[in-house]
Amino acid sequence: MGQTAPARAQERIRVVTTTTDLRSLTEAVGGDLVDAVSLVPANFDAEEYQPKPQDVLRLKDARLVVRVGLDYDLWFDRLLEATAARELRRGGPGYVDASWGIAPLEVRGVTVGPGDGHAHGSGNPHYWLDPKNANFITANILEGLARIDPANAKTYEANRQAFLARLSAKLTEWETRLAPLRSMPLIAYHNSWPYFARRFRLDFVDFLEAKPGVPPTPSHLAGIIEAMRTHGARMVVREPYEPERDVAFLAAKADASVVVLAASVGALPGTGDYLSLFDTDVAALVDAAAAR
Amino acid sequence: MIEAIGFLWPSFLVAVCLVGIHAYFGIKILARNVIFVDLALAQIAALGATVAFMLGHPAQSLATYGYSLTFTLLAAVLLAFTRTWATRVPQEALIGVIYVVAAAASILLIDRAPQGAEHLKQILTGNILTSGLGEVATIVPLYLAVALVHFLLRHRLAQSGSVFWEFVFYATFGMVVTSSVALAGVLLVFSFLIIPASIGVMFASTLPRQLAIGWIAGVLTSAVGFAASFAFDLPTGAAIVCAFGVALALAGLVYPFVRGNHFVALGITVRAVRWGVAALIAGSAIQLAVTPRADLPLIDMLEHAAPTFRNLYFTMAEAAAYQDASEYAERHRLAAEQLIEQERRSRTQGEALDEAAMQRISSFLKSYAEMRRGEQFVMSEVRARARERVRWSVSLGLLAVALLLAPLPWRRLWARLPR
Repeated sequence: MGQTAPARAQERIRVVTTTTDLRSLTEAVGGDLVDAVSLVPANFDAEEYQPKPQDVLRLKDARLVVRVGLDYDLWFDRLLEATAARELRRGGPGYVDASWGIAPLEVRGVTVGPGDGHAHGSGNPHYWLDPKNANFITANILEGLARIDPANAKTYEANRQAFLARLSAKLTEWETRLAPLRSMPLIAYHNSWPYFARRFRLDFVDFLEAKPGVPPTPSHLAGIIEAMRTHGARMVVREPYEPERDVAFLAAKADASVVVLAASVGALPGTGDYLSLFDTDVAALVDAAAAR
Repeated sequence: MIEAIGFLWPSFLVAVCLVGIHAYFGIKILARNVIFVDLALAQIAALGATVAFMLGHPAQSLATYGYSLTFTLLAAVLLAFTRTWATRVPQEALIGVIYVVAAAASILLIDRAPQGAEHLKQILTGNILTSGLGEVATIVPLYLAVALVHFLLRHRLAQSGSVFWEFVFYATFGMVVTSSVALAGVLLVFSFLIIPASIGVMFASTLPRQLAIGWIAGVLTSAVGFAASFAFDLPTGAAIVCAFGVALALAGLVYPFVRGNHFVALGITVRAVRWGVAALIAGSAIQLAVTPRADLPLIDMLEHAAPTFRNLYFTMAEAAAYQDASEYAERHRLAAEQLIEQERRSRTQGEALDEAAMQRISSFLKSYAEMRRGEQFVMSEVRARARERVRWSVSLGLLAVALLLAPLPWRRLWARLPR
């Protein structure tokens, strides 16, 4: 027995995902048959990730890559182009863009990434934060896995159905728990939450950083404080990697409390997989609302 | 508006405090010719904070501050020696090495820590807009203490050579920079340090006068930066840095008038401006003739400022097509914004949209984006064709204008012509 375990590990299909969320969902579909790694560590800003030499090695062993798409992980294109086998590149059998089929929100321009002939909007890329979108994401992963490992397609499908059933039960629970927060005005540091807000009917009124990387202007800040007072927003949402000081300043100005939410698996303690990510975030929101 | 002023004035007060101490250090730094020492010290302090963070101390704790301070003091020892070491290699090169190694070492450390990148960002990118009276209360005693030390030791610190006094200088400076970079960020602190001091040194030769000029210039420029940031809705730190850049340029322009013969200075300025404008116009003319379809910065800027300028070279049909496309592009943009707003409202109000409705909204948005891009393509194509049509006549005309504007000795050339 001791001999067979590593041998089995050898046979497992190596899947490289860009983010930890996609890793967790790939594990949900692939189960024991896959060995998934994510390139961006938990709690790093995936939009600003710089690939490391080890990532090239990880891609070398990979048979499937899964990416977020929607211009969220643009650096991945260059990495694939430079180092990956043809099968893993855009259009190859081992390439999965998890955003396929998702209805992106807040589409304002056209994609800046390399195209594949289709018209791609570049909407808000944080679509995995709507648990129902896991339906599409896991379907895309399933399709990719079935393409490279048709023998086990049935197992993957069964895994996915089991996962979606669990997710659906959880979703009802989350929706019930968040129901009292419905339409409660919230402020966030960065606009990462439209999908989350739509699913749980939360009202994100404004964002501290309107454009990524550009600090807020005085009138924007004044506008937020004004909005917080008129809407009665009493909670400011921050991701763990976002500046503590700016959010604390805003919270102090408008007598609000700061809620730290994870937008990705592993960003906070206790968010080890896709389901516990929502468990933790829902609990944090409910607790903060109760404390007011 | 009142709200904005309400939280602008505490950060303006922070800026005044920063100008106060940095203008002084700036003059000393300029004299020592170690311009980038503040970046090196700030980076070292960040490295210290990173080490504390890796050892499990929270960001705002005393332990973290202790680590930062210890690292800064160690760096001050190094910096104190750099002057004696810098015999063949310039001191500034050694300072640069300290900076890059400290920066790279923090990246290596951070790479091992979860939640690390944010931490490093926090230390090096302060935001003056969200600093306030609490910060003033902590920096004022520190700055006063440092100023007192420097005042009491002014004769010792003035005479260079001794490694110990160099250490005292860099250690006190390190404490100031560590606190100010966390407040205002690297870019702003560098401007506070170098620009008021440069203006002071430009117009005076004794320390008290240099300081007075630097302080006045620094406070005025900060006020202009804050005002611009408020009036034109710009990020505050970046607006102040640019205001400082403009202030230095203005000081440079004023300098010859104050220091030299007014008429000579005026003559040189006029000639320089004429040459500059002539070169710009001639460059645009050549660019238009060679690559009429490319971006032509000067003409594009003119058209952006005064859209009617286009009518000078557009035919009626071109103008109509351009106008039409631009109106449609704006219409598509507005339609998309309305749809986004409608979707946003539907998140909390009324019945939740179902998946099919979401898919429809999403594909409408994509179509609007595509259509808008199409209209923008039409606009640039119409403009490119119009420019291609007039490329020779307009570029010749522009060249003639440039020649006339250039301060060439036309009269003498005319007199020399053989008749």
